[in-house]
Amino acid sequence: MTSQVTGPAPASAPPPQSEPPTTHRSLLAELTMPLVLAAFATYLLVGMLSMSVPESVDFPGPRFFPAVVTAVIYALVIVEVLSILRHRSAARAPEGHPTTSAGSSAPASPAVDDAAPSVDDPGYEFVGADEPATPRFSWRSFAWVVGGFLVFALLLEFLGWIIGAAVLFWCVARGFGSTRPLFSLVVGLTVSSLAYIAFDMALGLSLPSGLLGGGF
Amino acid sequence: METLSLLLDGFAGALTLQNLFWVVLGCFLGTAVGVMPGLGSSMAVALLLPVTFALDPTAAFIMFSGVYFGGLFGDSTMGILMNTPGQASAIASTFEGHKMALTGRAPQALATAAIGAFIGGFVASVVVVFFAPFLAEFSTQFGPAEFLALALFAFVATSSVVTDSAVKGLLSLALGLGIAVVGIDSVTGIPRFTMNSPYLFDGISLVTVTVAVLALGEVIYFATTARFQSQGRMLKAQGRPWLSRKELREATPAWLRGTAIGLPFGVVPAGGAEIPTFLAFGAERKLDRRRRDPQFGKGAIRGLAAPEAAGNATTGMAMGALLALGLPISATAAIMLAAFRQYGLQPGPLLFERAPDLVWALLASFFIAMIVLLIINLPFAMVWAKLLLIPRPYLYAGITVFCGLGIYATSGSTFDLLMLLGVGLVGFLMRMHDYSLAPLIIGMVLGPLAETSLRDALISADGDASVLVSGPIVVVLYGVLLIVLLLTLRSKVTSRTRRDV
Repeated sequence: MTSQVTGPAPASAPPPQSEPPTTHRSLLAELTMPLVLAAFATYLLVGMLSMSVPESVDFPGPRFFPAVVTAVIYALVIVEVLSILRHRSAARAPEGHPTTSAGSSAPASPAVDDAAPSVDDPGYEFVGADEPATPRFSWRSFAWVVGGFLVFALLLEFLGWIIGAAVLFWCVARGFGSTRPLFSLVVGLTVSSLAYIAFDMALGLSLPSGLLGGGF
Repeated sequence: METLSLLLDGFAGALTLQNLFWVVLGCFLGTAVGVMPGLGSSMAVALLLPVTFALDPTAAFIMFSGVYFGGLFGDSTMGILMNTPGQASAIASTFEGHKMALTGRAPQALATAAIGAFIGGFVASVVVVFFAPFLAEFSTQFGPAEFLALALFAFVATSSVVTDSAVKGLLSLALGLGIAVVGIDSVTGIPRFTMNSPYLFDGISLVTVTVAVLALGEVIYFATTARFQSQGRMLKAQGRPWLSRKELREATPAWLRGTAIGLPFGVVPAGGAEIPTFLAFGAERKLDRRRRDPQFGKGAIRGLAAPEAAGNATTGMAMGALLALGLPISATAAIMLAAFRQYGLQPGPLLFERAPDLVWALLASFFIAMIVLLIINLPFAMVWAKLLLIPRPYLYAGITVFCGLGIYATSGSTFDLLMLLGVGLVGFLMRMHDYSLAPLIIGMVLGPLAETSLRDALISADGDASVLVSGPIVVVLYGVLLIVLLLTLRSKVTSRTRRDV
């Protein structure tokens, strides 16, 4: 399953080929899903080739169904990519739509964004090409939410549920543009403690006590 | 008469203090997620799935059905007040519902929606009680070929009927099927696609995937993109929250017609309540055109009543199909099917014999849920609308914490949390690029069934593929599938032309 876990990486990878820079970024973004799917199909293909199946197994063996699925994914990915390309060349004609700054009035203002918005934003512009307001994409929020969850996942057993979940809560709230860090922390600690009481103590699920548990 | 006594036993089981608590809790949760735009009953059921393993099965399913129905009661509230439907099944109700609110009839619109949902759900529950045992009896004749046909039916219908782009729907489905084949092969015992990692021998947990795709991916999507989209302004609903006799006379036939349209769709795996709600809306619209004083476009009460009734009628029947056939017609139902399996129960013909207590208590709880939902929705719709006051950052932060809680509590491993994040990112990308998520869940739930049925059928026929299309039930199933596909094609064309009228 690593192909899935690492799948989204191409979205942030530097553009490998030479194409006009203005259109390249959004093409790459548009192709993210087909790329992820193709990567997954390749993972299945490699798995099928390396699978050792004894001779005695009857015809529709363990490879049969995955082979059908893999073939279907490859075929549909090709269809999808072709339709994206056709759509783009059709849309290229009325070019001059604005590439950035469509939603600059949003809470996370571009001035605070640590990465240059001109590089980040146009990536997902195409999503609603026909909509009046072009959707904005905030890498900053993405980093807070995904990074927060990553930290939570890796440190949960060390920090314990109450602290770990409060950190996660705080990071996600931050990612949603919460501007009151201290208050968020208090709310986060309350939520995580209540969850601990309700699910660990009352319902009997096991949550790690971590740092706090060691002290007592 | 036997059915009635079984149902009475069911009521005895459902009316214990503990089970009543779970019904009410489920109804409250369902209404809450239904009301809030961006959250839906499938997300709520996915989030609850891991934590309910601490409960006994009856309590868990009673709560799930409360959530499922509650979502359909709540989803129209924001559609009416803000023109932002809480989930897809409320889109059809939003057209005329919001117009009613704009002309100062918001409370009546809310009441129409709540009563419509009640009538649709109640009639469907009655039908299910008398119909499901027969359906279960009938499905005992199913062999591998029939189950394969049923699964294929669900695959094609959910991935191409509901979604805008059939290619994307099918890709989503194929991804679900692909995820489902990871793990030890159930027929031969050979590990597949595991990279010899013991973490993957049991396959990728369905719980992890559903929570990742329906909850975590949604949170990332909302944080990065959706929260920048402008929201409508909420209208205040003031005045009498009941219907005059004239309004009742106007709405009643529409409620009944909507229910009639919604019922058959509960056993057709066409992705849940969206299609019937649109069909009901379209039918009312056509009838309206023939009247001397057409109401559509000015806030027609019928245009709201019919889709609401249709949506809940479909959901009620869907629960019947799930119990009797093991056939999920929507993402929410698919998750519930997965929940049954986690408890070692297989919905379908045997469930009625093996776990009659659970089945009948669950069916009885449908009626209780309907009444509870009517009580908490009819007079208090405006109170529910206050849920929008919860600050978005905290709401979504809470959801994320709950994702982590559920997954860690069921698996106890960091690996599953990382898997949750990885699949969540894929779910986020799918959301970003308008891939429908329901086919993925349905593919993952029904994929193993389809695969083993296919292989069993082929192996027992020595590889003769004609066995897959022989037998009356199979032929009928494929025939109905064809009809459904043609009907959708037609309704898609008409829905495109409907916009500009």
